[in-house]
Amino acid sequence: MRRLAGLALALPALLPIEDACAHPPFAGATGFYGGALHPLFVPTQAIAVLSLGLLIGQQKLHLRWPMALAYAAGLGIGFAAIISAFAPQFSTEALLAVAAIVAALVALARAVPWLTACVLALAVGITLALDSSPGGISVREANVVIVGTFCGAVILLWAILEVVVIFHREWQKLGVRILGSWLAASAILVLTWRLAR
Amino acid sequence: MRLVRANLRATVLLVLTAIPAVAHTGDLSGGFLGGFAHPLFGPDHVVAMVAVGLWGAFLGPPPMFVLPIVFPLVMAVGGALGIVGVPLPAAELAIAASAIVLGLMVASAARPPLWVAATIVAAFAIFHGYAHGAELPAGTDAAAYSIGFVTATGLLHLAGIGLGLTVRWPAGRMGVRGTGAAIACAGLLFLWRLA
Repeated sequence: MRRLAGLALALPALLPIEDACAHPPFAGATGFYGGALHPLFVPTQAIAVLSLGLLIGQQKLHLRWPMALAYAAGLGIGFAAIISAFAPQFSTEALLAVAAIVAALVALARAVPWLTACVLALAVGITLALDSSPGGISVREANVVIVGTFCGAVILLWAILEVVVIFHREWQKLGVRILGSWLAASAILVLTWRLAR
Repeated sequence: MRLVRANLRATVLLVLTAIPAVAHTGDLSGGFLGGFAHPLFGPDHVVAMVAVGLWGAFLGPPPMFVLPIVFPLVMAVGGALGIVGVPLPAAELAIAASAIVLGLMVASAARPPLWVAATIVAAFAIFHGYAHGAELPAGTDAAAYSIGFVTATGLLHLAGIGLGLTVRWPAGRMGVRGTGAAIACAGLLFLWRLA
Protein backbone atom coordinates (compact mmCIF):
# COMPACT_ATOMS: atom_id res chain seq x y z
CA MET A 1 0.00 0.00 0.00
CA ARG A 2 2.85 2.37 0.84
CA ARG A 3 4.52 1.59 -2.48
CA LEU A 4 1.27 2.43 -4.26
CA ALA A 5 1.07 5.74 -2.45
CA GLY A 6 4.72 6.45 -3.22
CA LEU A 7 4.10 5.78 -6.88
CA ALA A 8 1.09 8.10 -6.86
CA LEU A 9 3.16 10.85 -5.29
CA ALA A 10 6.09 10.31 -7.64
CA LEU A 11 3.91 10.57 -10.75
CA PRO A 12 3.91 14.38 -10.97
CA ALA A 13 7.68 14.51 -10.54
CA LEU A 14 8.17 12.14 -13.46
CA LEU A 15 6.21 14.29 -15.87
CA PRO A 16 8.14 15.93 -18.71
CA ILE A 17 7.95 19.71 -18.96
CA GLU A 18 6.04 21.47 -21.72
CA ASP A 19 4.40 24.83 -22.44
CA ALA A 20 1.40 25.57 -20.29
CA CYS A 21 -1.99 25.29 -21.90
CA ALA A 22 -5.12 26.79 -20.45
CA HIS A 23 -8.58 25.32 -20.78
CA PRO A 24 -11.37 27.35 -19.23
CA PRO A 25 -14.20 25.18 -17.89
CA PHE A 26 -16.60 26.71 -20.38
CA ALA A 27 -16.80 29.73 -22.69
CA GLY A 28 -16.99 33.00 -20.83
CA ALA A 29 -15.71 31.62 -17.52
CA THR A 30 -12.53 33.56 -16.93
CA GLY A 31 -10.64 35.17 -14.08
CA PHE A 32 -11.25 34.16 -10.47
CA TYR A 33 -14.64 32.56 -11.11
CA GLY A 34 -13.36 30.72 -14.15
CA GLY A 35 -10.62 29.26 -11.97
CA ALA A 36 -13.03 28.50 -9.15
CA LEU A 37 -15.38 26.61 -11.45
CA HIS A 38 -12.53 24.74 -13.15
CA PRO A 39 -12.46 21.70 -10.79
CA LEU A 40 -16.24 21.41 -10.98
CA PHE A 41 -16.71 21.62 -14.72
CA VAL A 42 -13.62 19.82 -16.03
CA PRO A 43 -14.76 16.17 -15.84
CA THR A 44 -11.34 14.69 -15.07
CA GLN A 45 -10.84 17.09 -12.18
CA ALA A 46 -14.37 16.57 -10.90
CA ILE A 47 -13.74 12.79 -10.91
CA ALA A 48 -10.55 13.27 -8.88
CA VAL A 49 -12.02 15.62 -6.28
CA LEU A 50 -15.20 13.59 -5.91
CA SER A 51 -13.19 10.39 -5.46
CA LEU A 52 -10.98 11.99 -2.83
CA GLY A 53 -13.98 13.46 -1.05
CA LEU A 54 -15.61 10.04 -0.88
CA LEU A 55 -12.39 8.41 0.35
CA ILE A 56 -11.89 11.01 3.07
CA GLY A 57 -15.54 10.65 4.08
CA GLN A 58 -15.06 6.88 4.45
CA GLN A 59 -12.13 7.29 6.85
CA LYS A 60 -12.26 7.65 10.59
CA LEU A 61 -12.60 11.14 12.01
CA HIS A 62 -8.95 11.49 13.06
CA LEU A 63 -7.82 10.89 9.46
CA ARG A 64 -10.08 13.39 7.76
CA TRP A 65 -8.31 16.59 8.71
CA PRO A 66 -4.79 15.38 7.85
CA MET A 67 -6.04 14.18 4.48
CA ALA A 68 -7.84 17.43 3.72
CA LEU A 69 -4.76 19.41 4.75
CA ALA A 70 -2.51 17.20 2.62
CA TYR A 71 -4.80 17.88 -0.33
CA ALA A 72 -4.64 21.65 0.26
CA ALA A 73 -0.87 21.42 0.67
CA GLY A 74 -0.67 19.47 -2.59
CA LEU A 75 -2.63 22.19 -4.35
CA GLY A 76 -0.24 24.76 -2.90
CA ILE A 77 2.82 22.81 -4.04
CA GLY A 78 1.37 22.29 -7.51
CA PHE A 79 0.46 25.93 -7.97
CA ALA A 80 3.85 27.01 -6.63
CA ALA A 81 5.40 24.81 -9.32
CA ILE A 82 3.21 26.45 -11.98
CA ILE A 83 4.15 29.92 -10.79
CA SER A 84 7.76 28.76 -11.08
CA ALA A 85 7.03 28.07 -14.79
CA PHE A 86 6.84 24.28 -14.37
CA ALA A 87 4.23 22.88 -16.74
CA PRO A 88 4.13 19.10 -17.08
CA GLN A 89 3.02 17.40 -20.28
CA PHE A 90 0.97 14.54 -18.87
CA SER A 91 -0.67 16.22 -15.91
CA THR A 92 -4.19 15.05 -16.85
CA GLU A 93 -3.00 11.46 -17.20
CA ALA A 94 -1.28 11.65 -13.80
CA LEU A 95 -4.42 13.11 -12.25
CA LEU A 96 -6.53 10.32 -13.74
CA ALA A 97 -4.12 7.64 -12.55
CA VAL A 98 -4.24 8.94 -8.99
CA ALA A 99 -8.03 9.38 -9.22
CA ALA A 100 -8.42 5.78 -10.40
CA ILE A 101 -6.43 4.53 -7.39
CA VAL A 102 -8.41 6.70 -4.97
CA ALA A 103 -11.78 5.74 -6.48
CA ALA A 104 -10.87 2.04 -6.45
CA LEU A 105 -10.06 2.35 -2.74
CA VAL A 106 -13.51 3.93 -2.25
CA ALA A 107 -15.12 0.95 -4.04
CA LEU A 108 -13.11 -1.53 -1.95
CA ALA A 109 -14.02 0.36 1.27
CA ARG A 110 -10.93 -0.83 3.10
CA ALA A 111 -9.31 1.14 5.89
CA VAL A 112 -6.38 3.03 4.40
CA PRO A 113 -3.21 3.59 6.51
CA TRP A 114 -2.93 7.25 7.44
CA LEU A 115 0.35 7.79 5.61
CA THR A 116 -0.99 6.24 2.42
CA ALA A 117 -4.18 8.26 2.71
CA CYS A 118 -2.30 11.52 3.18
CA VAL A 119 0.11 10.76 0.34
CA LEU A 120 -2.81 10.04 -1.99
CA ALA A 121 -4.54 13.28 -0.96
CA LEU A 122 -1.29 15.17 -1.51
CA ALA A 123 -0.92 13.54 -4.95
CA VAL A 124 -4.46 14.51 -5.95
CA GLY A 125 -3.75 18.11 -4.89
CA ILE A 126 -0.47 18.32 -6.78
CA THR A 127 -1.72 16.72 -9.99
CA LEU A 128 -4.95 18.74 -9.95
CA ALA A 129 -2.98 21.96 -9.60
CA LEU A 130 -0.57 20.96 -12.35
CA ASP A 131 -3.55 20.14 -14.56
CA SER A 132 -4.93 23.64 -14.03
CA SER A 133 -2.08 25.70 -15.39
CA PRO A 134 -3.42 28.88 -16.98
CA GLY A 135 -1.65 29.99 -20.14
CA GLY A 136 -1.83 32.58 -22.88
CA ILE A 137 -2.82 35.31 -20.41
CA SER A 138 -0.91 37.87 -18.40
CA VAL A 139 0.87 36.88 -15.19
CA ARG A 140 -1.57 38.95 -13.15
CA GLU A 141 -4.60 37.28 -14.75
CA ALA A 142 -2.99 33.86 -14.36
CA ASN A 143 -2.44 34.45 -10.66
CA VAL A 144 -6.09 35.40 -10.23
CA VAL A 145 -7.14 32.20 -12.02
CA ILE A 146 -4.78 30.15 -9.83
CA VAL A 147 -6.22 31.65 -6.64
CA GLY A 148 -9.70 30.95 -7.99
CA THR A 149 -8.85 27.34 -8.81
CA PHE A 150 -7.32 26.82 -5.37
CA CYS A 151 -10.45 28.18 -3.69
CA GLY A 152 -12.75 26.21 -6.00
CA ALA A 153 -10.87 22.95 -5.47
CA VAL A 154 -10.90 23.34 -1.68
CA ILE A 155 -14.56 24.38 -1.53
CA LEU A 156 -15.61 21.52 -3.80
CA LEU A 157 -13.85 18.95 -1.62
CA TRP A 158 -15.32 20.51 1.51
CA ALA A 159 -18.83 20.43 0.00
CA ILE A 160 -18.47 16.76 -0.96
CA LEU A 161 -17.17 15.93 2.51
CA GLU A 162 -20.08 17.70 4.16
CA VAL A 163 -22.44 15.45 2.26
CA VAL A 164 -20.52 12.19 2.68
CA VAL A 165 -19.95 12.46 6.43
CA ILE A 166 -23.69 12.41 7.12
CA PHE A 167 -24.00 9.01 5.45
CA HIS A 168 -24.33 6.53 8.30
CA ARG A 169 -26.85 4.03 7.02
CA GLU A 170 -25.66 0.86 5.38
CA TRP A 171 -27.32 1.56 2.03
CA GLN A 172 -25.75 5.03 1.95
CA LYS A 173 -22.30 3.55 2.52
CA LEU A 174 -22.96 1.03 -0.23
CA GLY A 175 -24.05 3.89 -2.48
CA VAL A 176 -20.70 5.58 -1.86
CA ARG A 177 -18.91 2.36 -2.82
CA ILE A 178 -20.96 2.01 -5.99
CA LEU A 179 -20.22 5.63 -6.90
CA GLY A 180 -16.54 4.92 -6.24
CA SER A 181 -16.61 2.02 -8.68
CA TRP A 182 -18.23 4.25 -11.32
CA LEU A 183 -15.58 6.92 -10.79
CA ALA A 184 -12.75 4.37 -10.94
CA ALA A 185 -14.17 2.91 -14.14
CA SER A 186 -14.52 6.36 -15.70
CA ALA A 187 -10.98 7.33 -14.69
CA ILE A 188 -9.49 4.10 -16.07
CA LEU A 189 -11.35 4.48 -19.37
CA VAL A 190 -10.43 8.12 -19.88
CA LEU A 191 -6.82 7.44 -18.90
CA THR A 192 -6.59 4.58 -21.39
CA TRP A 193 -8.18 6.69 -24.09
CA ARG A 194 -5.74 9.52 -23.52
CA LEU A 195 -2.73 7.21 -23.52
CA ALA A 196 -3.91 5.30 -26.59
CA ARG A 197 -4.79 8.20 -28.87
CA MET B 1 -51.50 -9.10 -8.77
CA ARG B 2 -50.28 -5.59 -9.36
CA LEU B 3 -46.69 -6.82 -9.05
CA VAL B 4 -47.30 -9.59 -11.56
CA ARG B 5 -48.74 -7.06 -13.99
CA ALA B 6 -45.78 -4.71 -13.51
CA ASN B 7 -43.31 -7.52 -14.08
CA LEU B 8 -45.31 -8.75 -17.06
CA ARG B 9 -45.13 -5.28 -18.58
CA ALA B 10 -41.40 -5.16 -17.95
CA THR B 11 -41.03 -8.56 -19.61
CA VAL B 12 -43.02 -7.47 -22.66
CA LEU B 13 -40.94 -4.31 -22.89
CA LEU B 14 -37.73 -6.28 -22.70
CA VAL B 15 -38.86 -8.68 -25.42
CA LEU B 16 -40.06 -5.85 -27.65
CA THR B 17 -36.80 -3.99 -27.33
CA ALA B 18 -34.84 -7.12 -28.11
CA ILE B 19 -35.29 -6.79 -31.87
CA PRO B 20 -31.93 -5.59 -33.20
CA ALA B 21 -29.09 -7.99 -32.51
CA VAL B 22 -26.37 -5.47 -33.30
CA ALA B 23 -26.10 -3.50 -30.14
CA HIS B 24 -24.41 -0.24 -29.26
CA THR B 25 -25.79 1.83 -32.07
CA GLY B 26 -26.57 5.01 -30.19
CA ASP B 27 -26.98 7.85 -32.64
CA LEU B 28 -26.07 10.64 -30.30
CA SER B 29 -22.37 11.19 -30.63
CA GLY B 30 -19.96 12.67 -28.20
CA GLY B 31 -20.19 14.00 -24.67
CA PHE B 32 -22.09 12.80 -21.65
CA LEU B 33 -25.37 12.28 -23.50
CA GLY B 34 -23.69 10.21 -26.20
CA GLY B 35 -22.08 7.99 -23.59
CA PHE B 36 -25.26 7.80 -21.55
CA ALA B 37 -27.32 6.78 -24.56
CA HIS B 38 -24.81 4.19 -25.75
CA PRO B 39 -25.73 1.33 -23.36
CA LEU B 40 -29.42 2.24 -23.51
CA PHE B 41 -29.49 1.78 -27.30
CA GLY B 42 -27.99 -1.69 -27.03
CA PRO B 43 -30.78 -4.06 -25.99
CA ASP B 44 -28.32 -6.88 -25.29
CA HIS B 45 -26.51 -4.57 -22.91
CA VAL B 46 -29.72 -3.38 -21.29
CA VAL B 47 -31.08 -6.87 -20.54
CA ALA B 48 -27.72 -8.11 -19.21
CA MET B 49 -27.32 -5.10 -16.90
CA VAL B 50 -30.87 -5.44 -15.59
CA ALA B 51 -30.23 -9.16 -15.08
CA VAL B 52 -27.16 -8.35 -12.96
CA GLY B 53 -29.37 -6.25 -10.70
CA LEU B 54 -32.14 -8.85 -10.58
CA TRP B 55 -29.68 -11.61 -9.73
CA GLY B 56 -28.22 -9.44 -7.01
CA ALA B 57 -31.68 -9.14 -5.50
CA PHE B 58 -31.86 -12.94 -5.19
CA LEU B 59 -28.47 -12.99 -3.50
CA GLY B 60 -29.76 -10.50 -0.93
CA PRO B 61 -27.87 -7.76 0.92
CA PRO B 62 -25.00 -7.07 1.18
CA PRO B 63 -23.93 -9.30 -1.78
CA MET B 64 -26.74 -7.63 -3.75
CA PHE B 65 -24.56 -4.53 -4.04
CA VAL B 66 -21.27 -6.30 -4.64
CA LEU B 67 -22.13 -7.18 -8.23
CA PRO B 68 -22.84 -3.55 -9.25
CA ILE B 69 -19.49 -2.60 -7.67
CA VAL B 70 -17.54 -5.37 -9.39
CA PHE B 71 -19.12 -4.89 -12.80
CA PRO B 72 -18.02 -1.30 -13.59
CA LEU B 73 -14.49 -1.91 -12.30
CA VAL B 74 -13.99 -4.97 -14.50
CA MET B 75 -15.91 -3.37 -17.37
CA ALA B 76 -13.35 -0.57 -17.35
CA VAL B 77 -10.60 -3.15 -17.93
CA GLY B 78 -12.56 -4.53 -20.89
CA GLY B 79 -13.14 -0.99 -22.11
CA ALA B 80 -9.42 -0.30 -21.91
CA LEU B 81 -8.74 -3.38 -24.04
CA GLY B 82 -11.27 -2.13 -26.59
CA ILE B 83 -9.80 1.37 -26.68
CA VAL B 84 -6.26 0.09 -27.10
CA GLY B 85 -7.47 -2.26 -29.85
CA VAL B 86 -6.50 -5.57 -28.29
CA PRO B 87 -8.45 -8.19 -30.26
CA LEU B 88 -11.00 -10.00 -28.14
CA PRO B 89 -12.59 -12.82 -30.15
CA ALA B 90 -16.34 -13.41 -30.15
CA ALA B 91 -17.13 -10.38 -28.04
CA GLU B 92 -20.67 -10.04 -29.43
CA LEU B 93 -21.27 -13.75 -28.90
CA ALA B 94 -20.14 -13.45 -25.30
CA ILE B 95 -22.44 -10.47 -24.78
CA ALA B 96 -25.39 -12.47 -26.13
CA ALA B 97 -24.32 -15.39 -23.94
CA SER B 98 -24.25 -13.06 -20.93
CA ALA B 99 -27.96 -12.38 -21.38
CA ILE B 100 -28.65 -16.13 -21.56
CA VAL B 101 -26.52 -17.08 -18.54
CA LEU B 102 -27.57 -14.17 -16.34
CA GLY B 103 -31.21 -14.63 -17.38
CA LEU B 104 -31.05 -18.30 -16.44
CA MET B 105 -29.48 -17.45 -13.09
CA VAL B 106 -32.39 -15.12 -12.36
CA ALA B 107 -34.99 -17.56 -13.71
CA SER B 108 -33.64 -20.37 -11.55
CA ALA B 109 -33.18 -18.04 -8.55
CA ALA B 110 -29.63 -19.36 -8.31
CA ARG B 111 -27.77 -18.49 -5.11
CA PRO B 112 -24.17 -19.56 -5.64
CA PRO B 113 -21.37 -18.38 -3.32
CA LEU B 114 -20.66 -14.69 -3.78
CA TRP B 115 -17.27 -15.27 -5.37
CA VAL B 116 -18.84 -17.50 -8.04
CA ALA B 117 -21.48 -14.89 -8.86
CA ALA B 118 -18.87 -12.12 -8.90
CA THR B 119 -16.61 -14.16 -11.21
CA ILE B 120 -19.43 -14.85 -13.68
CA VAL B 121 -20.46 -11.20 -13.72
CA ALA B 122 -16.85 -10.01 -14.00
CA ALA B 123 -16.17 -12.34 -16.93
CA PHE B 124 -19.10 -10.92 -18.88
CA ALA B 125 -18.25 -7.36 -17.81
CA ILE B 126 -14.99 -7.65 -19.76
CA PHE B 127 -16.92 -8.21 -23.00
CA HIS B 128 -19.49 -5.51 -22.37
CA GLY B 129 -16.72 -3.04 -21.56
CA TYR B 130 -14.79 -4.13 -24.63
CA ALA B 131 -17.76 -3.37 -26.88
CA HIS B 132 -18.09 0.11 -25.38
CA GLY B 133 -14.39 0.83 -25.59
CA ALA B 134 -14.02 -0.41 -29.15
CA GLU B 135 -16.95 1.73 -30.30
CA LEU B 136 -15.92 4.96 -28.60
CA PRO B 137 -16.50 7.52 -31.37
CA ALA B 138 -13.49 9.46 -32.63
CA GLY B 139 -13.41 13.11 -31.67
CA THR B 140 -15.51 12.50 -28.60
CA ASP B 141 -15.00 14.15 -25.22
CA ALA B 142 -13.77 10.86 -23.75
CA ALA B 143 -14.19 11.95 -20.15
CA ALA B 144 -17.81 13.02 -20.46
CA TYR B 145 -18.58 10.06 -22.73
CA SER B 146 -17.09 7.54 -20.30
CA ILE B 147 -18.85 9.08 -17.32
CA GLY B 148 -22.08 8.93 -19.31
CA PHE B 149 -21.90 5.28 -20.23
CA VAL B 150 -20.63 4.15 -16.84
CA THR B 151 -23.49 6.07 -15.21
CA ALA B 152 -26.08 4.56 -17.56
CA THR B 153 -24.71 1.08 -16.91
CA GLY B 154 -24.83 1.63 -13.17
CA LEU B 155 -28.36 2.97 -13.32
CA LEU B 156 -29.45 -0.11 -15.26
CA HIS B 157 -28.02 -2.24 -12.44
CA LEU B 158 -29.91 -0.18 -9.90
CA ALA B 159 -33.09 -0.49 -11.97
CA GLY B 160 -32.61 -4.27 -11.89
CA ILE B 161 -32.09 -4.19 -8.12
CA GLY B 162 -35.18 -1.99 -7.74
CA LEU B 163 -37.29 -4.43 -9.73
CA GLY B 164 -35.65 -7.31 -7.91
CA LEU B 165 -36.68 -5.99 -4.51
CA THR B 166 -40.15 -7.34 -5.28
CA VAL B 167 -38.82 -10.88 -4.65
CA ARG B 168 -39.86 -10.53 -1.01
CA TRP B 169 -43.44 -11.15 -2.17
CA PRO B 170 -44.40 -14.47 -3.82
CA ALA B 171 -45.96 -12.73 -6.82
CA GLY B 172 -42.92 -10.50 -7.24
CA ARG B 173 -40.62 -13.49 -6.97
CA MET B 174 -42.53 -15.21 -9.73
CA GLY B 175 -42.49 -12.07 -11.85
CA VAL B 176 -38.75 -11.56 -11.41
CA ARG B 177 -38.03 -15.16 -12.31
CA GLY B 178 -40.28 -14.75 -15.35
CA THR B 179 -38.30 -11.64 -16.31
CA GLY B 180 -35.12 -13.71 -15.99
CA ALA B 181 -36.56 -16.29 -18.36
CA ALA B 182 -37.50 -13.54 -20.81
CA ILE B 183 -33.96 -12.17 -20.64
CA ALA B 184 -32.55 -15.62 -21.38
CA CYS B 185 -34.93 -15.91 -24.36
CA ALA B 186 -33.81 -12.47 -25.56
CA GLY B 187 -30.21 -13.70 -25.29
CA LEU B 188 -31.06 -16.68 -27.46
CA LEU B 189 -32.58 -14.29 -30.00
CA PHE B 190 -29.37 -12.19 -30.01
CA LEU B 191 -27.37 -15.35 -30.51
CA TRP B 192 -29.60 -16.55 -33.31
CA ARG B 193 -29.29 -13.21 -35.11
CA LEU B 194 -25.52 -13.30 -34.81
CA ALA B 195 -25.36 -16.81 -36.28
